[in-house]
Amino acid sequence: MILLDLALTFGVLSLVAFGGMPAVMPEMQRLVVDVKGWTTAPEFIQLFAIAQAAPGPNVLIVSLIGWKAAGLWGSIVALLAVCAPAAVLAWWIADLWERFKESPWRVAIQRAIAPLVVGLILSGGYVLCTPAAGPDWRLWAIAAASCTAYLTLTVNPLWILAAGGTIGAFLL
Amino acid sequence: MDVTPPQTLRELFTGFLAIGARSFGGVMPWAHRTMVEERRWLTQADFAETIGLCQFLPGPNIGNASIVLGKRWFGVRGSAVAFLGLMALPFFWVMALGILYLEWASNPVVRAVVTGVGATGAGLFIGTALKLGRAIVNRPAALVLVAACFLTVGVGRISMLIVLPVSAAIGIFFARRGWL
Repeated sequence: MILLDLALTFGVLSLVAFGGMPAVMPEMQRLVVDVKGWTTAPEFIQLFAIAQAAPGPNVLIVSLIGWKAAGLWGSIVALLAVCAPAAVLAWWIADLWERFKESPWRVAIQRAIAPLVVGLILSGGYVLCTPAAGPDWRLWAIAAASCTAYLTLTVNPLWILAAGGTIGAFLL
Repeated sequence: MDVTPPQTLRELFTGFLAIGARSFGGVMPWAHRTMVEERRWLTQADFAETIGLCQFLPGPNIGNASIVLGKRWFGVRGSAVAFLGLMALPFFWVMALGILYLEWASNPVVRAVVTGVGATGAGLFIGTALKLGRAIVNRPAALVLVAACFLTVGVGRISMLIVLPVSAAIGIFFARRGWL
């Protein structure tokens, strides 16, 4: 049954997605395109672009894949499957995290994690701008302009995104 | 900076609804702006640590953050409310845009605009990382960890399953020696 297949596939992805969705994207592509055949490779890239462009967590790409595989129920099952196992784990860890509030080990782990998250978010931006094997200077230029605008202007980032889309229309 | 956690489930819901509704190109910049800058639910450091924990855990980071923060403030109801608030509008918008885009996918201009928005979202990611990095910029050991993470995971595309345990162990060693 395809809904069960969606639930199991994305449920497993949920538990191996250390560092979030960008980290698990290659594995998701392999499973969805090569193993399950729910979309083709060009379709997968388009669905990924939509999940980037639309408001909301990037994880919603799984709803688009679920939609292609099994319609509306597929989209709902895929989203819940990719979130639920991780949510249960987060729930449990958060509790443990509070209980050891005074522990020097918790303080050490927190201090250790802060630089890692900065490096990982930087990596996420870099990887998003490097979709093919080689660097694409046009994507990097758009990202650099966006980053500069975000840090220096006080405008709503929606305007930055609209500008980036307009530049993309001429540059890409 | 004074911070005040959300007082009601309704406030929690509308806050996460605001994050989800506006979060073009990646949620983290909007989570930061909404919770730290606009509503002042969290301090900058608390936000970085909470996101750090959620980044450390498997699964969608912002989904985990809604579970962890919802639980911290209101227990299981808070987790459910924050998660539903976060996902409700984006789910319908992504589905609507996806169905619309599949109709227009053959148009090269449409494709270029969507890709440009994606690259801009990546730039917002980098901007958020730089903002978070301000808190640790005066600690050389922290900058070494940032660079190591970026070079291995970002440039080297090495699996996080290898990089995270190693860099976390090094980070804890640094922290125990008081370098972080």
